[in-house]
Amino acid sequence: MSNNYFNTLTLRDQLEQLGKCSFMHLNEFTEGVEALKGKKIVVIGCGAQGLNQGLNLRDSGLDVSYTLRQAAIDEKRQSWKNASENGFTVGTYKELIPTADVVLNLTPDKQHTPVVNEIMPMMKQGACLSYSHGFNIVEEGMKIREDLTVIMVAPKCPGTEVRAEYVRGFGVPTLIAVHEDNDPQGHGLALAKAYAVGTGGHKAGVLMSSFVAEVKSDLMGEQTILCGMLQTGSILCFDKMIEKGIDAGYASKLIQYGWEVVTEALKYGGVTNMLDRLSNPDKIKAFDLSEELKLIMRPLYNKHQDDIMDGNFSSGMMADWANDDANLLGWRAETAETAFEKTPAGDVEISEQEYFDHGILMVAMVKAGVELAFETMTAAGIIAESAYYESLHETPLIANTIARKKLYEMNATISDTAEYGCYLYNHACLPLLQDFMKNIDTDVIGKGTSHEDNGVDNARLIEVNEALRSHPVEHIGGILRGHMSDMKAII
Amino acid sequence: MTIELQECYFDFEQRFELQDIHWSVTKHQHWVITGANGSGKSALVATLAGYGEQLSGTLTGLPARVALVSFEAQAELIERELKKDDADILDVIAIGTPVHEILAEGNVDAETVSDLVGKFELGYLLERSFRALSTGETRKIMLIRAIASKPELLILDEPFDGLDAKTLSMLQEYLTVLSEKVRIIMVLNRCDEIPEFITHIGYMQKAKLLYKVARSDQDATRDILQLLHLKTSDLQIPATDVASKSALLQADLPLVVLNNICVKYDQLKVLENFDWTINKGEHWQLSGPNGSGKTAVLSLITGDHPQCYSNDIFVFGFHRGNGESIWQIKQFIGYVSTALQWEYRVGTSLRNVIISGFYDSIGLYTKATDTQRLIADQWLALLGMKARADDSFNKLSFGDQRLLLIARAMVKHPPLLILDEPCLGLDDINRQLVLALIEKICAGGQSTVLYVNHHSEDAISGIENYKNIEKHPSNISH
Repeated sequence: MSNNYFNTLTLRDQLEQLGKCSFMHLNEFTEGVEALKGKKIVVIGCGAQGLNQGLNLRDSGLDVSYTLRQAAIDEKRQSWKNASENGFTVGTYKELIPTADVVLNLTPDKQHTPVVNEIMPMMKQGACLSYSHGFNIVEEGMKIREDLTVIMVAPKCPGTEVRAEYVRGFGVPTLIAVHEDNDPQGHGLALAKAYAVGTGGHKAGVLMSSFVAEVKSDLMGEQTILCGMLQTGSILCFDKMIEKGIDAGYASKLIQYGWEVVTEALKYGGVTNMLDRLSNPDKIKAFDLSEELKLIMRPLYNKHQDDIMDGNFSSGMMADWANDDANLLGWRAETAETAFEKTPAGDVEISEQEYFDHGILMVAMVKAGVELAFETMTAAGIIAESAYYESLHETPLIANTIARKKLYEMNATISDTAEYGCYLYNHACLPLLQDFMKNIDTDVIGKGTSHEDNGVDNARLIEVNEALRSHPVEHIGGILRGHMSDMKAII
Repeated sequence: MTIELQECYFDFEQRFELQDIHWSVTKHQHWVITGANGSGKSALVATLAGYGEQLSGTLTGLPARVALVSFEAQAELIERELKKDDADILDVIAIGTPVHEILAEGNVDAETVSDLVGKFELGYLLERSFRALSTGETRKIMLIRAIASKPELLILDEPFDGLDAKTLSMLQEYLTVLSEKVRIIMVLNRCDEIPEFITHIGYMQKAKLLYKVARSDQDATRDILQLLHLKTSDLQIPATDVASKSALLQADLPLVVLNNICVKYDQLKVLENFDWTINKGEHWQLSGPNGSGKTAVLSLITGDHPQCYSNDIFVFGFHRGNGESIWQIKQFIGYVSTALQWEYRVGTSLRNVIISGFYDSIGLYTKATDTQRLIADQWLALLGMKARADDSFNKLSFGDQRLLLIARAMVKHPPLLILDEPCLGLDDINRQLVLALIEKICAGGQSTVLYVNHHSEDAISGIENYKNIEKHPSNISH
């Protein structure tokens, strides 16, 4: 059975690795793709990440081919079609892995152990194995042959975005890491940087992190604020509006697109800007609601972080893998049956500002979730930069998927690991917020407040503004968004 | 009464023929007629003053008193004065008719004459011979004569031409007051001179009154003025930024060689055994029915088609699939298509959209140099969009976006300019705008043009090579 790598580290090493994360500037990438030029890159798997990363790398002048299981080739499965229709060479593991200088493992987490076990013996002496998620190394304790270099390059966006941004001449923020136990030639970082340039990531900002920090922060973010909170929030807000007699089509639309609209404000100016979009009395209302939510949900966030840190989450999920995904598939079916999921968005006009004014509770939920996730991660030793990216930064990306096709699209887009964690969170959070929701009315979700005037107490407003602006996620957010906008100067 | 022209054809001494004119000018309308040189705008307004031979159609509702000021009328008067000179058989030096006599001719209002002579500050030359006046002075005398003749319809062909700023604003003010009583029709070449009181604009092109718009329709008015700007301004295609331009690797090779191309999706073949060579300076038009693979061919050239790596393709000296990056290819191509416009959904400024052409990006992610900004501003001036340089691209009309994307494609003076149905989805006026811009580019550029279009009326002069693609047999539904 697997052996959790993180748990084998000393506390000192654990803290050092969790604390690893720094922003790399464009001028650190002047070597371009040189380190990978002329090297044979073989991608395992041709799903959304595999295909789109490969297209980018090839367009950057690199030699890319795909290897698939014999069955996928024989049956001409979708992955085979993806690769061959795009003009790539496709071959079996046996044919291509021995020729590879760099192997990109872009299969789902669940397949990592069997895939890596199968290809490792075929790999060339001194070759490089790359991951885009560290789960296999950190949580499953996969041991890689000592002569192989192990790196991670993780674009922080869905595969289609990775391609779309590259074609526009830009890229998506990307996290890179070198597995310190596997860097025999000391060129892991050079390879990871060249790979990030090849996918266009260097233009949007690269974070240098560690396998450990990536896994522990990624798991925490995706199962709490990113997916869990949005799923739970969608269900609770929708059911409340229906209970209070609001038109179902309107309620469905307000939620489906509301997350995207309010988190767009978050993307540009953090939690502060998101709340600044509300009138003063509404802002104070949202603030108070989020304080209440944070108080109720904090133990849940702590539990998720603890389970992630000590490996309980992973072992629980791996047990479900071994049980043919019984839990995952059951929860997935359950989500498809929720009233929100089954009610199509109505044909009503909702202005951009109305999403804020009628969605005060949604704003409060996003604020509470972002801050709690950030606070919990940093308290567990994850550096603020990582915590920021895995909470606030990614929330709008996930919100976009809900706008496209509701919770189904979100859960279909995210990884199996994220989906599993999301359902776990949802199941715990729904009952937790039951009492809180009893006191909620349509003034904060569905209809908006009806203040006769927008007067507020000065002292109270100053207090709220101060609390918003001085939160640590706002501090690091200001710095990182500054870097980002330097790069994405004019958009 | 409404002046009404229906299906009118006029001949002007067999030098020029106005065609199929439909125009009505009601009592309270004031028109400006505009258009490129030689488009027939002077001829059109002159018909209302009795010039030209009406070949067919009906012209009704003309008022009794019509006054016309134009270069032609001015020339006639001067001609008449010269003839007087010729007719003088006495051996004395003819001094010609003095100005005050010219001004008293016909049924004129003496009070108006003296008022205007004062306003134009012409008192000093009343005693001089009309023949001895400068062109500008003659023009002013003509204006006074026309206005003082108490016309019901006043036609002014380029009245502001050659006037100094002070006189210009005086005349504009005067006409504004006059317009409350008198219908005024003007011919103007410069759109910045159109007075406030003008209610309608007509645009002449190739002897036809092509567009008639009410000034209250602001979008239509802006389109007309922009078209006028492109047609009439003598602006040159701006130079490119030498610093951001790379030379072709092997200038003596063809720009593009496609060898035995095959493109297929699953069982569906789009192209098979397709060959094409594009040499430098050889402009091509590519045509073929929908689904015949035109876009596939173009994207094989630009590198946007993934199967460009599994075909035998030479572009700009690169044999594709040998370690070159897509950006090395794109730097030699300017590209415009409807698809690009759909993808270009960016809230960036007009200036940045043009600058993004230097980087082949959608949106701008690099700090532009001062030279690049300067060049972008020159392009905006060419397009008549200088005042809108900082506006957001996605707030622009569809036609204006297309114009801007053409400028973006041209900003680096690419060796190959690909125009994939550049007029698709545009209304008539915007089509005219785009074609006017492309003609300007073709006339002044060193780019080899590859043009895809269905409409013969959108033909571009200078294209002499034609490539036709047939639909692949496997791609025809039975």
